[in-house]
Amino acid sequence: MSGTIAALGIFFLAILGTPLFIIMSLAALVAFSFSGVEVSAVAQEFYRISSAPTLMTIPLFTFAGYLMAESKSPMRLLKLAESGLGWLPGGISIVALIVCAFFTAFTGASGVTIIALGGLIYPILMKDGYSEKYTLGMITASGSLGLLFPPSLPIILYGLVAKVDIDKLFKAGLVPGAVIMIILSLWAIYNSPKIDNGSNHKKFVLKDFLFALKESWLEAVLPIAVLVGIYGGFVTVTEAAAFTALYVFVIEVFIYKDLSLKQDIPRVIVDSMSLVGGILLILCCALGFTNFLVDEEVPMKIFGLMKEFLHDKYSFLLFLNVFLLIVGCLMDIFSAIVVVVPLIIPIANDFGVDPVHLAIIFLANLEIGYLTPPVGINLFIGSFRFNKPITELYRASVPFLLLLILALIIITYVPSLSLFWFK
Amino acid sequence: MKIIKQFDSLLEKTATYLLVFSVLTMLSISSLSIVVRWFQYNITWIDPFVRHLVFFCTFLGGVVATGQGTHIGIDILGKFVESKGMHNLKNIISKVVMIASMAVLVWLIKSGIDFTKVEMEFSKKEFWGIDSGYLVMLIPIGMTFLLLRFLTIFLLSFENKKGELA
Repeated sequence: MSGTIAALGIFFLAILGTPLFIIMSLAALVAFSFSGVEVSAVAQEFYRISSAPTLMTIPLFTFAGYLMAESKSPMRLLKLAESGLGWLPGGISIVALIVCAFFTAFTGASGVTIIALGGLIYPILMKDGYSEKYTLGMITASGSLGLLFPPSLPIILYGLVAKVDIDKLFKAGLVPGAVIMIILSLWAIYNSPKIDNGSNHKKFVLKDFLFALKESWLEAVLPIAVLVGIYGGFVTVTEAAAFTALYVFVIEVFIYKDLSLKQDIPRVIVDSMSLVGGILLILCCALGFTNFLVDEEVPMKIFGLMKEFLHDKYSFLLFLNVFLLIVGCLMDIFSAIVVVVPLIIPIANDFGVDPVHLAIIFLANLEIGYLTPPVGINLFIGSFRFNKPITELYRASVPFLLLLILALIIITYVPSLSLFWFK
Repeated sequence: MKIIKQFDSLLEKTATYLLVFSVLTMLSISSLSIVVRWFQYNITWIDPFVRHLVFFCTFLGGVVATGQGTHIGIDILGKFVESKGMHNLKNIISKVVMIASMAVLVWLIKSGIDFTKVEMEFSKKEFWGIDSGYLVMLIPIGMTFLLLRFLTIFLLSFENKKGELA
């Protein structure tokens, strides 16, 4: 009885808006107290995070992403992509998709992409003749695009929580991420403004492309360098994070001189670490509670219950898709990873779902959750950024939502897209 | 209120300076560690040191997030109340949230102190010959830092709306 009251009280505090790290700590403290375990066990679980070998990748990659978002890097990369792909039908929109994916991979889908790039992309697409509905929907959807590409923060966090090799996850996300990009690119081509006598048609100008490349190559090579560095066996993920942060710091401060060492860097550090602190606090606090649940065999009990309704791997995957879509529109991705992943891993394992494939399904689902009405966070960020009513954003994002669900179905039911590297 | 404002500003500045110092240190020595490894040399203390620095930054980042009201939460009821224009109720909710947060932080500090005592008794050397008991002190210290920030924001919320958590 007292357990039920406590659970209801904690739930009530959660919906009031109490920070999630407080909720998770309280749940752990109450759970340990009820089961007669010393509350020092919560602090012990808290401290466990400091022994995670890939822990330092989180602040370093996030810092690098924030540095780039605060510099003129988005403009340079947009110019490069525009001069390289702008001649394609729907080229400008495809360019926007690629640049957004690039930035989300580095900033971790924290809304930075919509805030930093939205203002740049919106006028370009509108000027190019795209409808406002398409433009708003595209930018809102792009806010979480790129989550499956390295060195995405959610992938690192997932690897930490689920104890899955981050190198493997980086690799596994490449093709599913590309599938999403291709589907949205085809939609961009379909929606591209009609060309009248070629007047609206852009031509590929080698000189412009080379000029843009010269301006931005130091930033454009970064994702390739990270991938080659890690998979070429030259550096570990941790080393790649340190190098990326140092490299971006040097080029933005000393080469491009977009950011001032005294005025901008402290601000960028504080902004990025405020996000990192928020995420890691939840992670630390949730470790105690989720471990308690695992020790009490709660996932196994849920699994037993699910077995009565779900009889095979595919019915489980369908259930998982729907469940995670709901989770994705109610919780942000970082909280969802920390809270949900430890519970679903044992269940998915019993249904025979590969842990790496599960990670990709999980992240692709939550990527869509960002866009799912009524409370997908990208919809609110888009509404705030473009000063439009939320209902307008709902309407604009529906086609993108459907396309992303199509991509999700492909990613979920064709595991080889994620796993072919490892066979 | 002036003293509280000054104290809040002191907390913010301390967290900012420590964060800037910690991140730049983290960046420099992580890079140094890679460079020396190319010359077949390994500085063993760097890895645990940086991990503890990240651990410390977690609390400092949390202090900043508390001040900015950007902690991640499932604010369904608060957002609903705000959308209906019930600002007084929203203020009351914010205060309830902060009181609950402070109470939990006090409990967490106790948990951290208990754990530190245990770790002091059975400690092992981590790096630079430092006992793990001293390193786990980061938990009660970090939590106290967070508690103080919540407290100042809570007190200041009686003067303005700064205390509203996002």
